[in-house]
Amino acid sequence: MSDTNGNRTTMTTRPGGSFIGSRAMPELVYHAPKTLPELMDLIKIHGPAARIVAGCTDVIPSIRTGRWRFDPGLHLVDITKINALNQIETHEDMLKIGAGVTLTRILTSPDVKGFCPVLARAVEQMASLQVRNTATMGGNLCMASPAADTAPPLLVSDATVILQDARGETTVPVADFFTGPGRSVMTPGQMMTHICIPKIKDQDSAAFLKIGTRTAVIISVVSAAVRIGMAGGVCESARIALGSVAPTPVRVTAAEQFLSGKPLDDQVVDACAGMAASAVSPITDLRASAGYRKDVAKTLVKRCLMACRKDLT
Amino acid sequence: MKIPLTFVLNNQETTLMIDPGQTLLEVLRGQGGMTSVHRSCEEGECGACTVLLDDEPVNACLVLAASVQGASVMTSEGLVKDGTPHPLMKAFTDELGIQCGFCTPGMLMNAYALIRKAGDTELTDAVIRKTLEGNLCRCTGYVNIVKSVKTAQKLKMAGEWW
Amino acid sequence: MKKREERLILGKGEYADDLEFMNMGHLVFVGSPHAHARIVSIDTTRALALSGVITVITGKEVAAHTRHLPVQANFTSKGWTWRLAEVYAISSDKVRWYGEPVAAVVAETEAIARQAADLVTVEYDILPLAGDLRTALEPGAPKVYEDWEDNKQVHLVFDFGDPEQAFAMADQVLHVTNREGRVTGLPIEPRGCVGVYDRKNDSLEMWGSFQTPFLARHNIAATLGIPEAKVKINAVDIGGAFGLKIHAWKENVVALASKLTGRPVKWMEPHRDFVTTGPHQRDVFWEGKIAFKNDGTLLGLDATVYHDLGVESTNKGIAALSIFPACSSPTNMYKWVGMHVEGIGTVTNKSFYCAYRGYGKDKGIKFIESAINQVAKQLNMTPEAIRMKNFIQPDEFPYHQINNYVLDSGDYPAVLEKAMEMADLESVRERKKKLAAQGRYLGIGLITAIEPAGVAVPNCQMGGITEARVLITPDGSVEVHSDRTEIGQGTEISHATIVADILGMDPAQIHVKRVTSDFIGQGPLSSRGAVYPASAVAKAARLLREKVVKCASSVLKISPDQVVLENGFIYPADAPEQKISYARFAEKVFFFPGPRGLDPEMLKAHDHLLDVTTTWYSPTTPESGSSYTSFCVSADIAVVEVDIDTGVTQIVKYVHVHDAGTIINAQVVDGQIHGGIVQGIGEALYEGLNYDETGKLLNTSFSNYLIPTSVEAPDIEIAHLETPSPFSETGSKGMGEAPIIGSKAVILDAIEDALTPFGIRVNDAPATPEKVRAWIRKATGQDE
Repeated sequence: MSDTNGNRTTMTTRPGGSFIGSRAMPELVYHAPKTLPELMDLIKIHGPAARIVAGCTDVIPSIRTGRWRFDPGLHLVDITKINALNQIETHEDMLKIGAGVTLTRILTSPDVKGFCPVLARAVEQMASLQVRNTATMGGNLCMASPAADTAPPLLVSDATVILQDARGETTVPVADFFTGPGRSVMTPGQMMTHICIPKIKDQDSAAFLKIGTRTAVIISVVSAAVRIGMAGGVCESARIALGSVAPTPVRVTAAEQFLSGKPLDDQVVDACAGMAASAVSPITDLRASAGYRKDVAKTLVKRCLMACRKDLT
Repeated sequence: MKIPLTFVLNNQETTLMIDPGQTLLEVLRGQGGMTSVHRSCEEGECGACTVLLDDEPVNACLVLAASVQGASVMTSEGLVKDGTPHPLMKAFTDELGIQCGFCTPGMLMNAYALIRKAGDTELTDAVIRKTLEGNLCRCTGYVNIVKSVKTAQKLKMAGEWW
Repeated sequence: MKKREERLILGKGEYADDLEFMNMGHLVFVGSPHAHARIVSIDTTRALALSGVITVITGKEVAAHTRHLPVQANFTSKGWTWRLAEVYAISSDKVRWYGEPVAAVVAETEAIARQAADLVTVEYDILPLAGDLRTALEPGAPKVYEDWEDNKQVHLVFDFGDPEQAFAMADQVLHVTNREGRVTGLPIEPRGCVGVYDRKNDSLEMWGSFQTPFLARHNIAATLGIPEAKVKINAVDIGGAFGLKIHAWKENVVALASKLTGRPVKWMEPHRDFVTTGPHQRDVFWEGKIAFKNDGTLLGLDATVYHDLGVESTNKGIAALSIFPACSSPTNMYKWVGMHVEGIGTVTNKSFYCAYRGYGKDKGIKFIESAINQVAKQLNMTPEAIRMKNFIQPDEFPYHQINNYVLDSGDYPAVLEKAMEMADLESVRERKKKLAAQGRYLGIGLITAIEPAGVAVPNCQMGGITEARVLITPDGSVEVHSDRTEIGQGTEISHATIVADILGMDPAQIHVKRVTSDFIGQGPLSSRGAVYPASAVAKAARLLREKVVKCASSVLKISPDQVVLENGFIYPADAPEQKISYARFAEKVFFFPGPRGLDPEMLKAHDHLLDVTTTWYSPTTPESGSSYTSFCVSADIAVVEVDIDTGVTQIVKYVHVHDAGTIINAQVVDGQIHGGIVQGIGEALYEGLNYDETGKLLNTSFSNYLIPTSVEAPDIEIAHLETPSPFSETGSKGMGEAPIIGSKAVILDAIEDALTPFGIRVNDAPATPEKVRAWIRKATGQDE
């Protein structure tokens, strides 16, 4: 920019720097391992050149827009053909979802409805049918978007994820999984294999709500999930999580603790929602301002709490 | 380097030579010759390239062609039997659920899967609208599309279907 | 009847992206990542080195081989400010908006061209921005065009009737403002074409998504310096247009690429390109005063409308011109004493302005409707009462409006009454009260509008030219040619119906031909389809019918008044059993026995050829100076519910009553209404193009430029009245734009009504949840 001294800013475009409406798919080698060991071998052989994909609903748009650039020699490793990662299993009080399970299967699975209905409610409002038919649970989490709608339900459900690399398996609570926008605790060579969700207790109720700039097929401006357990008319346990209001999906523990031992009357609900909203510091972006996000976060938490209350009485 | 892709395209086993980086959209329109599969956003936002992959609607632009090895893919060309329009197509024509026609083939595939799955349950406006949320249309305001889907389901219930 | 629809549904459409030619190259544009910058250098060596790249065209080649883009509308002579710039299809010195093409790569495949596009290296000197209307008009603002005095491109001043008298008569004057965000029409299919330059004949032929092939030919030929007679433009199936495919400028580069490479060259625009470097619209701010009497009589308006045009917009489209209808349309359907309206158009570092459904008429009518509802509130009148008081009455047509419009026909009160009855207005108002007691916010919007249609303006490419040809072939099938492309608005159905009715044939026998530049006309724009081309087609069919009757009387040896044309057959009125098919008839007239079998007098009069080419022109425009010929009428009533804690608006009910004169095909008309209403809802609630402080467009895809999906679109109840237009050949009125005019106004009006307890004025579209919430917070002191 020419400043008052007449200095000039000269900028030269690099590959990826120009505006190009849609970029070409890169040259690549496609792998579709059938088993986990095969997959781990491919990661070992190709190292950083290997990129794990599942539904491809994020990787392809990223290539088209130039957000992701790949050097020649890319190896795409598609995990959707691995049977072990494609199952929804129940183990006593634990729901175990393979990372390659599509959102549609989450939505239609009786097990998910029984174990974690709030997850199904969130998934129902995600993307379009076509995208839900290919996008996966694992993909939604691994992309680590602050707006990932599966995250708040998993956070309030005390879910964990299983990560695997050559050295073996690690279990990480979802609450510890995200480290920033697009970042997680996963290390190079590591992959997510499963999401484990404890069954919701009979005395618990959970709710999910989201707000977007349109009703359908929309990235959340704010999403909220709440799980409440009541005993003797007072709140015994509480989980409150929010999406799109921080660098990662977050739990608002202060607001959770506030509820402990209290009845869910209007005053408590209102105060709790206020605490949840003031605990987060969202950003302003194209979709919404920080102020609106905080404002609506409060409303959503309040409405989730009221939905749980209604459900429990 | 090109690789062979063998899959069932509109009920016919087909082998095409593809680049591993090609999307299903590129292969269907290119090597596959299925030009009803329309290309617009290439990012899974508009639904114009909706096809059925193992009976489920997907955006062909977001599917790597290499990943459909052995799978079944159906485009709206596959609905046509001996040159005769499918009853679903007839319903879209009769109700004028089409204006510029660009979103139509994708809309048809999504609607086809919906009607088939619905069985004997009568589809409500709300269910139809929710199901078609990923198929953007800028011409019709969706009103006649919803009507077309309902009419099509009636044709199916009357036994006119394949 | 629905031949085209059946073909498209069978997957047999041929859209621009489906075009394939032998030895075809593929073109991809490289766009600037900066909104305003001087191009220092462009290095194409790496791109050219990529295997499969045929050539790279930059601004240098474009300047060397083409002329600047021709001006499509020029009002410099009127004493108004109307500045023009010399602009090339690709700029060689500086870029003026984010995404502006700086180079085009041609390669063996599109994938290679896209790869190579990323390898073109450009050095830019960044310049300060004229980023929006306000800053661009400030003294000393960075200039988009250096040789202009400032960034003001257009300043028009109109006095209609007696504005001074209007204000002198007023009991009250109300200050009114209104803002509409920047939007784009955004058909699902972007633009695309194939250019084939024939070096043997030095001629050019193009196929593609051309909404107006005749105008495209003129502009492409002028740019390339080829005689127009050596250029032919063919429209293929078009995936929606709404005005956005009228212009041709990137298409010039495609033609040039074919000329330079000697190969067919295809360009299929990526959708993000379409949003970023395509036509934009609206982005206006109105400010003014409305004068009225205490009894609700409307008197006058004194207003200025400021347009953010983006870059120079007389050569990529005819959009600076849309300031005219914006200024003249506020008269809408009421009686006025006078108006003073000024229209200002400013260039900024944004993509250019072009036509989009509404074309300014929407702006003026939306503004005045909103203002009138303010007046009603001020006077404690209902919105229907103030309209009923001011409507032009059914016995006053043709009505000479103060702005020269000759309003053709209609029953304005009846249209509104019908809408009120369908909406059950009184009980909805009751329901609103009931819900209010429960803390719910229902709002009822009410808007009435006319739509000026069938445009003919001097000093531009929209002068009202049109040509139609209807002919019977030797096998008895009928060809219908016109300038009206099929963009999904029902040209084929309508023209086939018109011709079949006149000739007594089955519509299946009528073949509506694809539009090429061989037929003169400005194409379907400003809702002129049902006025100009349809009238020309009807007129040609009637003249042809006269010829058929003459020939038939000769063939059947009966008097002309005995000839009956019906259901594809021709027979004597008193002997239907002697009927002959059109096929048999045509064979007789053409070949066996041919002309020699006809009455010799007919041959002397040259009446034997069953082929008529004709034109049609508005009967009112020549004398009145009115740019429009027909004025359809509509009333919209919408009921919305606003969630005041989130700002989300839900449409509960939508009623639309329409009078577009004689209906040629009701399904087509309903389809136009549904689509237009939902586009208007998009403008009212979701759609907005936002540029950041560096001039970068932030929403370039369907994921953040939000158009309504099937979930947000409401069910729409429609009723029709049919008051024929005395001025069109068929009695039909243009109606394609009316629905978008009413709907975007009525939704905002309904939101305002819902928010009445907060005293909020909703005059800033789109009313996104965040905006609505911010208004409520402000009104309730929550922001203190």
